[in-house]
Amino acid sequence: MSARPERLSGADPGLRVLKGRRASRPALAPWMIMAVVGVAAFLGLVFARTSLDNAAFDLAELDVAIEQQTELNQDLKLQIARMENPARIAPLAEEMGLVIPVETHQLLVNLDPSSPVVVFADDPGGHQ
Amino acid sequence: MSQLWGVPAGPIVVATVATGPGWNPAKARLALIGIVMLLAWGVVAWRLVQVQVVLAPEVADKGLQQRLVVEELAPQRGKIFDRNGDLLAMTVEAESLFAVPAQVEEPRWVAQQFGTLLGVDAEALYERLISDKDFVYIKRQVDSSVADELLALNVKGVYSLPESTREYPAGEIASHVVGFVDIDGIGQEGLEIVYEDGLRGVPGQARFERDANDIPIPQGDNDIVPAVPGFDLNTTIDLPLQYQAQQYCEEAIKEPILAESCWVVVLEVETGEVLAMTGAPAFDPETRTTQDGSPFSNFAVRGVYEPGSTQKLITVAGALEEGTVQIDTQFFDIADVLEIKEGACESDVDEIQGCYRDFEEHETEDMTVEEIFVQSSNVGTITVADTLGQDKLVEYIKAFGLGQPTGIDYGAEASGILNFAAGCETCWASGAIGYSVAVSPIQMAAAYAAIANDGQWITPHIVSSVTDATGNTEVAGVETHQVVSPETAELMRYLLAGVVDVGTGTSAAVEGYRVGGKTGTANILGDDGQYTDATRASFVGMAPIDDPKVVVAVLIDSPSHKYRTGGASAAPVFSKVMEQALHRLGVTPDGKE
Repeated sequence: MSARPERLSGADPGLRVLKGRRASRPALAPWMIMAVVGVAAFLGLVFARTSLDNAAFDLAELDVAIEQQTELNQDLKLQIARMENPARIAPLAEEMGLVIPVETHQLLVNLDPSSPVVVFADDPGGHQ
Repeated sequence: MSQLWGVPAGPIVVATVATGPGWNPAKARLALIGIVMLLAWGVVAWRLVQVQVVLAPEVADKGLQQRLVVEELAPQRGKIFDRNGDLLAMTVEAESLFAVPAQVEEPRWVAQQFGTLLGVDAEALYERLISDKDFVYIKRQVDSSVADELLALNVKGVYSLPESTREYPAGEIASHVVGFVDIDGIGQEGLEIVYEDGLRGVPGQARFERDANDIPIPQGDNDIVPAVPGFDLNTTIDLPLQYQAQQYCEEAIKEPILAESCWVVVLEVETGEVLAMTGAPAFDPETRTTQDGSPFSNFAVRGVYEPGSTQKLITVAGALEEGTVQIDTQFFDIADVLEIKEGACESDVDEIQGCYRDFEEHETEDMTVEEIFVQSSNVGTITVADTLGQDKLVEYIKAFGLGQPTGIDYGAEASGILNFAAGCETCWASGAIGYSVAVSPIQMAAAYAAIANDGQWITPHIVSSVTDATGNTEVAGVETHQVVSPETAELMRYLLAGVVDVGTGTSAAVEGYRVGGKTGTANILGDDGQYTDATRASFVGMAPIDDPKVVVAVLIDSPSHKYRTGGASAAPVFSKVMEQALHRLGVTPDGKE
């Protein structure tokens, strides 16, 4: 059974049926696209921002690491300098058997190739 | 009965309707509520506009100030190097431990534990911890690793803050040259204070936003003006030679010489560079303490002494340059005593008043200028000075750089004293033999370097160049002037060699090299104005004498009586230091002992 009401037989002649505007569905596609683009842009923005912040944190960590390595480098330089200190090395070398000669001899080398004579400064006789 | 908006009609509605025609109380209440709501929203909106628009900059600024941190970036203090690039001073990061006394729960325990581990007096630390101060230091500038270990104990009320500290890896060896900084890193002595402005650098500034947890906000309002590091000093000091020189000086203050102090200056002749400048007793620049409580001041630059016979170089050089004598000019009847003022020699102690004696008694004899110089005759030298005249003598003394700062790049340099006041009848004679004048060891070394350098005097200097953070290097300039002719300088070197060969300075000889120099022995003036038996013994010389490369000046203050002369105490130290210097510079032996 149809629920449609029946047309009245004795209808008022003054009444007339107007042709209604045809119902039209709005075009969804552009809105959908805009919404999707908007959401994608938003997500992209969030992602970019997150990436940027992550990179910034990474950078900050790198800065700290550089600072730590620089400090370590400075400490190592200082250690080297302390170890190279003659006041440390000289007594250590003597402990390890270095003997500083009491009597020294100067060797004088004649650079003339025709008579290469090696002479002890305190021995004028020289040695061929 | 009608229904109003689906609400069953009740007595109230009836009563309301019955109030009168045209008046709808419900509508009135709604209107009132609407007005109130409107007003409320209006207030909110007004406040919103006020905050967001009118007060926006001010509020935004307040918010920013809460998040914003402005910190000064301390510049890295410049390093100090020796001539071989070895470190003499550098700054490293450290931690300063501090406490908030009100938060420390067990001050006695903290004082004992931290005091023991950090080498701090536990009782003094305890007193600080129970004080009513908001902030007390436990110990400043602690090694970072030690600080980390202590902080790991998680003691309540104990914290740390980063603070740099100055380290001197060469320790006592270069302390008199490099100097030191105070606890706040400000130069107090030596090169550290002389070059304070350049070494310190320029502070920077970091401005950044931080969150509630004190963590910097990466994308916040960050602005950094980096600090400009201080420039590095490249000194002329040769650390191994400096070490050797200091070792020999240390020996001089021990048995048997037992001097109060010993000072050595080593100059490179051609450049005026100070290869070594040291003294004993030395001090530790990190703890800022001396071995015996003696002052930190560098006597080689800031101290003055009466040079005694080493001054005769200037007197004789002046006379030779002016042509008033030749080295073979003979003076007749030179006695061992000379009285310039009548009756002056009746007193044995008062030389400055006009009575001059040779160090050793001898018969009256004829002496050449060479003999006078080699035997270091006071009477003979005064006789030579007499041919020169006081005005010329003073002129040469000044030309050789005495009585005025040499200009060495070391602060508060002593000028020395020239006592040639008008009306002083004997000052010229005293000045000729090294009394009545006072000089610093660096002045005397520079004067001898002029003779070594063919008569050309050069400003001695310790810093050869400075290097800024970008690597730009600026070389220090020096001044020169001709004092005597090269011929006179050569004659003087001949005389100086004679002193070491056959004169008073034989113990200054260096095996393999021909050395020249002059001994000096001057009695020390007592507080009562009279000369005491104590002496300042010195030796200044150069090698190899035919083409000198190095000048060494040695001053020994108050040696024991047996070693009271320059020849006995200073000359042997000179010999050892000169030998090391010649080896360090790679100078070829000239084959003579």
